[in-house]
Amino acid sequence: MSDVVTRPLLEGLEDRLLALEGVAKAFPNGTIALRGIDLVVRRGRVHGLLGANGAGKSTLIKIISGAFSPTGGRMIWKGAAVSWRNPRAANDGGVATIHQHIPLVPTLSVIENVFLGAQDRWRRGAAANRRFDALCERVGYHLSPDVVVGDLSIGERQMVAILQALGTGADLIVMDEPTASLAAGERELVYAAVRRLSKVEGKAILFVSHFLDEVVALTDCVTVIRDGRAVMHAETCDLNENLIAEAIVGKEVAVLERMAATSPATNSNAQTMLEIRDLRSAGKLEPISMRVARGEVIGIAGLLGSGRSELLHAIFGADPAATGEVLVKGRCIGRGTAAAVRAGIGLVPEDRMRQGLVPDFEIWRNTSLPALSSVSWRRMLPDRRRERARGSEAIRRLSIKASSPDAPVTELSGGNAQKVTIAKWLFSDVELFLFDEPTAGIDIGAKNDILFLVRQLAADGNAVLMVSSEFEELLAVATRLIVMRDGRCVARRAAHETSEHELLLLAGGGSAADADATIDIAPGRPPTSDQSGQ
Amino acid sequence: MSNFPTPAAIIGHTVSVPIHGQDVSGERTASKVDWQRLFSLREMGVYYALILLIDVLALVTLHLGHPNYFSVLNISNVMYQASLSAIMAVAMTVILISGNFDLSVSSVAALAAAVLTGYADQIGFWPAALLAMTVACFVGLLNGSIVQFLGINAFIVTLGTLTAIRGIVLIYTDGHSLSVQDPHVLDAMAAFESGRLDIGIPLAVFGVVLTLLGLRSALVSKKSGGIAWTPRTAGMVLAGLCMLAIIVATGATVPLPKPVLYTLAFTAVIWFTLTYTIVGRRLYAVGGNPEAARLSGINVVRYKLFAFVLSSGAAGFAGILFASRLRSINPAALTGAELTVIAAAILGGTSLFGGAGSVIKTLAGAMLLYSLTNGFNILNLGANYQGLIEGIVVVAAAAIYTVGAERGKRA
Repeated sequence: MSDVVTRPLLEGLEDRLLALEGVAKAFPNGTIALRGIDLVVRRGRVHGLLGANGAGKSTLIKIISGAFSPTGGRMIWKGAAVSWRNPRAANDGGVATIHQHIPLVPTLSVIENVFLGAQDRWRRGAAANRRFDALCERVGYHLSPDVVVGDLSIGERQMVAILQALGTGADLIVMDEPTASLAAGERELVYAAVRRLSKVEGKAILFVSHFLDEVVALTDCVTVIRDGRAVMHAETCDLNENLIAEAIVGKEVAVLERMAATSPATNSNAQTMLEIRDLRSAGKLEPISMRVARGEVIGIAGLLGSGRSELLHAIFGADPAATGEVLVKGRCIGRGTAAAVRAGIGLVPEDRMRQGLVPDFEIWRNTSLPALSSVSWRRMLPDRRRERARGSEAIRRLSIKASSPDAPVTELSGGNAQKVTIAKWLFSDVELFLFDEPTAGIDIGAKNDILFLVRQLAADGNAVLMVSSEFEELLAVATRLIVMRDGRCVARRAAHETSEHELLLLAGGGSAADADATIDIAPGRPPTSDQSGQ
Repeated sequence: MSNFPTPAAIIGHTVSVPIHGQDVSGERTASKVDWQRLFSLREMGVYYALILLIDVLALVTLHLGHPNYFSVLNISNVMYQASLSAIMAVAMTVILISGNFDLSVSSVAALAAAVLTGYADQIGFWPAALLAMTVACFVGLLNGSIVQFLGINAFIVTLGTLTAIRGIVLIYTDGHSLSVQDPHVLDAMAAFESGRLDIGIPLAVFGVVLTLLGLRSALVSKKSGGIAWTPRTAGMVLAGLCMLAIIVATGATVPLPKPVLYTLAFTAVIWFTLTYTIVGRRLYAVGGNPEAARLSGINVVRYKLFAFVLSSGAAGFAGILFASRLRSINPAALTGAELTVIAAAILGGTSLFGGAGSVIKTLAGAMLLYSLTNGFNILNLGANYQGLIEGIVVVAAAAIYTVGAERGKRA
């Protein structure tokens, strides 16, 4: 590594805590998640790790924390090559990982959670109390040890997780999107703890985030991953949000050509399909109004917890706390999901197994659930032959890979299960489709099928609202986009006026204009942005 | 439908591929039947257990020189003893399918019985029965409202109402037995509860119709290219032939006690509703995955409330039958009956997590429990062993269902 020579002495070899050399990961099913990553994490620094969905971040984190073993390359930990056998080994070695969904025991107290993995004989002791106080001192945040974790806010739980990680004596703390579901004030707590740990204690922190502004504000250096490669290593002081967004998106042209370019311009006098007026839900969704015409696909861009799913649920009447008016074809619909379905709205929820499908039901009983009366004798007695025929039809039309409509949905793969949740709405009088992350966690073939279906639905005169974390997809199918952050609609764009880059900036933090203003070059440091990943 | 003719069809044109090289048309695949699974211990276990038990009891009674176990009189007596629990167990199955739980049924039945005996002398049998049913349904509504609107676990709520309603019965009766004095009321009770109806002729007609219908749909299915003997057609023919066999064996006189007829009628209605109507399908969906059901436009709260009201209503009806049978009510009556009721539902393979269950199997479960009791009486084994054996049977049944379910998943 020649760049070491050019760095100040402080960042010399002895500060290297973890070095990855060409780490690669191919899964048995042939998916290549990592194509050779070089990464150096140093003591006392906050190292930002960024990348779009599916770029390989989670795989990399899992390798570092011992959940996966790499299929190529070397991992050097404190100067010696290691290969963790399991997460416990990594933990004992000094790597602590804080996962996005905090695995704490809600019924135990703070102190019991913090020392959950400790091998003490007794539940509580004076020693544990002293150790807890010392930990709190170290992060500069005090929490009552006896409060039950279930009573804490999400931000406080995140702090408990940090204390837990510290309690194991870790040298490297991996934080996977620690602020994704936190309110602004709670984020500050985490930032303060991160800064203190790195600057005062000299811990290394690998910080994964989608929020570009916090990455710029918090980290010392940044690695951007794209398609399983590290495409940028740079000191944060040389960067701004624009440069990072560019690196995340890449120069490649989007695979899917834009809908906006190919479809005829939206007819300005097309019939209004949906109108919402001041739709809001306390704590989840700020008031929002909009109008959607037939034939339109509205892309809703936003990160996890931005209020994007909440918006769809409010429109669908699935959020009892939501207030405001929802008009379909000019008529105000009542509250509740049944009224929404009657009005011709269909929701494909984010979590297909938990929210979309009934696990005890076969494909055919799932596909006919929302529109049972249309396959029933005198709208009362479901006719199994017609239902099963509908199941077969769904299998054929959406090319679901299942042997028959009698297959239980629990045996389907993610993409095929997703197609069943979509098929539920294709046979009823639904004219307004709400898709919540329809392509999350499914293979590229099924993904393209679904995106194609979305376009086709719109072309047939329906209206579609689609939420996705993959802005490239939204740009490919949407006519207009709205960007959400913190429960608010922060921007509205026509698809041809915007880019993935801009959407990323809008959803992940400051606007493009803000980003220009935050260019911050610290004097005295040479630009060291290298491209060692290539 | 009209506004949505093509989109998915176009998708189909572009990307559809034959799956495993075979045609995936509805008829062809619908006709494939997994008989092995259908007759597995997990699916049919309760019937096997019931048949085995009855056969053993019949052999033993034959050996001991007791009267014929298979007589209509004996079997219908067991059914009569089981009828109250069976009615409640069928409704319990519905509430378990909906994903809830009702412990309070025995107290509700006792309350309905107390209301009936307390008011019948003043306002007559039928108005008092109506009042008792209203009170019972109200308790169900209360249970359901607390569970659904306050979000408290059904187990806890109904454990509370189990105790509280029993308390109301004690307050209402002041700890004493109530009995009916008015001879008109006593006559009405007798007409309602005791006596037998001969269902020989209807049973014969029903058996013939069922057999013919089964044969016909088997033929239709065969003509349209499917397999003739699906579980449905085979079941219809088999059930029809069984009925005819009973007719032949009994010489077309099958006098059944009225409570047994009420039980059969109630079970038939619930079975039909669960199996063939939209309401039934949605109820299974509500229990199987409430969130998915809600997001499919189903009013989940309404279905769950309905299940609570049905459970308490059935308990109220059982209470009316109980009071009519004894013409009086002891404040401690029916204490602990809820456990038998739940045991019957579990023996019938009803899932405690919702979304699965069959009222016919529950009925078989109730019969199994009461046949055991009956067997102990016949064999003079003494009541001491009864609890032990019943407990073992329930746990063994649960073990078979659980282990069977895991095997099924692995296969």
